[in-house]
Amino acid sequence: MDALQIANSLPMWIACGVAVVLVIAQALIFVKKAIDAAPQVGVTKEQVNKAIKSSALTSIGPSIVVLSGMLSLLVTVGGPMGWMRLSFIGSVMFESIAAGIGTGSVGVQLGVDELTPLALTMAVWTMILGSVGWIIFSTFAADKMDKIQAKLAGSNPAGLTIISSGAIIGVFAAMCGQKLVMVDKTALATVLGGVCMFAMMTLTKNEKFAKLREWNLTIAMLVAVVLTAII
Amino acid sequence: MNENFYNLEYLPKMHRIGKVIGVLAVVASFMPALCLGLVYGLWPDWAALGTAALTAVSSFGVLWFVEPLSYYPVVGPMGTYMAFVSGNISNMRIPCASMAQVAAEVEPGTEKGSIVATIGMGVSIVINTLVLSFGVIAGQAILSALPAAVNTALSNYLLPALFGALIVQFGLKAKGHTLVMLAVGCFMYIAVGKSPLGINLFGWLSGASNYLPTLVCVFVSIGIMMVTSKKKAKA
Repeated sequence: MDALQIANSLPMWIACGVAVVLVIAQALIFVKKAIDAAPQVGVTKEQVNKAIKSSALTSIGPSIVVLSGMLSLLVTVGGPMGWMRLSFIGSVMFESIAAGIGTGSVGVQLGVDELTPLALTMAVWTMILGSVGWIIFSTFAADKMDKIQAKLAGSNPAGLTIISSGAIIGVFAAMCGQKLVMVDKTALATVLGGVCMFAMMTLTKNEKFAKLREWNLTIAMLVAVVLTAII
Repeated sequence: MNENFYNLEYLPKMHRIGKVIGVLAVVASFMPALCLGLVYGLWPDWAALGTAALTAVSSFGVLWFVEPLSYYPVVGPMGTYMAFVSGNISNMRIPCASMAQVAAEVEPGTEKGSIVATIGMGVSIVINTLVLSFGVIAGQAILSALPAAVNTALSNYLLPALFGALIVQFGLKAKGHTLVMLAVGCFMYIAVGKSPLGINLFGWLSGASNYLPTLVCVFVSIGIMMVTSKKKAKA
């Protein structure tokens, strides 16, 4: 069998499927527990439904971007690995670089030379060893970071909200900065995304358009993409 | 309503579940490698793997620690368990958790905020996995069915537009602060050599462009917020 036949074989689908099932199971368990806990902390059923709807809408756009990244991985390391790695731990950038380092170590250039079974094995192992630290550290540090953050916030009950709000703006400012400094069409898309969002938020402040509010982000994003492509 | 429920019942239980799943996830991640070895007799060239793993760890190893620390204040403890098992954090998990909080009108960093963010993040994981599973079956057919122009537009412009829209959504409440942070963000990415200017002040720090700007932005932003809120409280 050649490397891609092995990479796309049934045993590989099953082995990779274990991780995908685990990710979905975790998500379902956490959502179930959070919904059960909601009334206890004063979150209403209506708020839960709004959260679900909004998150579902927000995920669609980025999912398509990840999907197109996955398709490039399909060609190089096969369907099962591409499917698993982008549902699990990874990001498009990390996976293709790690796979390239793995195959490169036995002299096969990913996407250029023909993939050998050994190169495939090296890619798979490198992707795993390069990423397993994320899960280990985050799993064992999650409750400790909780305590550090509580200390940082001190006795101020608004402290945690201030920390989180500051962090959210910090994260998105970094993401925008990364695109803006390119001074190309991606920078333009960032600016237009912001402008369209501002327009949508201003428009939907009017009660007549209140129903559109949950579509603000989706509409702003799509209009910005179309405008960027046309300009 | 039960005041102690969140801290005394919910959190400890979720921490236990999160840790068990984290350990299972480590085991599950090795399954494809074991499958290649046990089913096909394909084991790596261990010496070459040592070099490859070392190269991968030296480019990404810092991220193992820096990303959980940077994103923790945004996603909280439950979000941390979920986000690092499922990946795609900045491009999907954080936007979904934050937008869920906006839709439900709850504050981040509160008990309500944490519950809502967990729901939002979980839903995004299910949808993402469904889209990918559908995509892997339909495969190349989908993308080749789209005209090339649509394809480029989606894969290059969708995320920047999303980030631009998000900064407006969350920044309008603190305009001055957001503008300062955008300047910091741009400055950091220029400093790590990501701009066409070609300046790189951090060439000596391996892989700095992958994590340094986000780390600096998150903690500078938290710092400024805390200082200004203390000043406001005093005034």
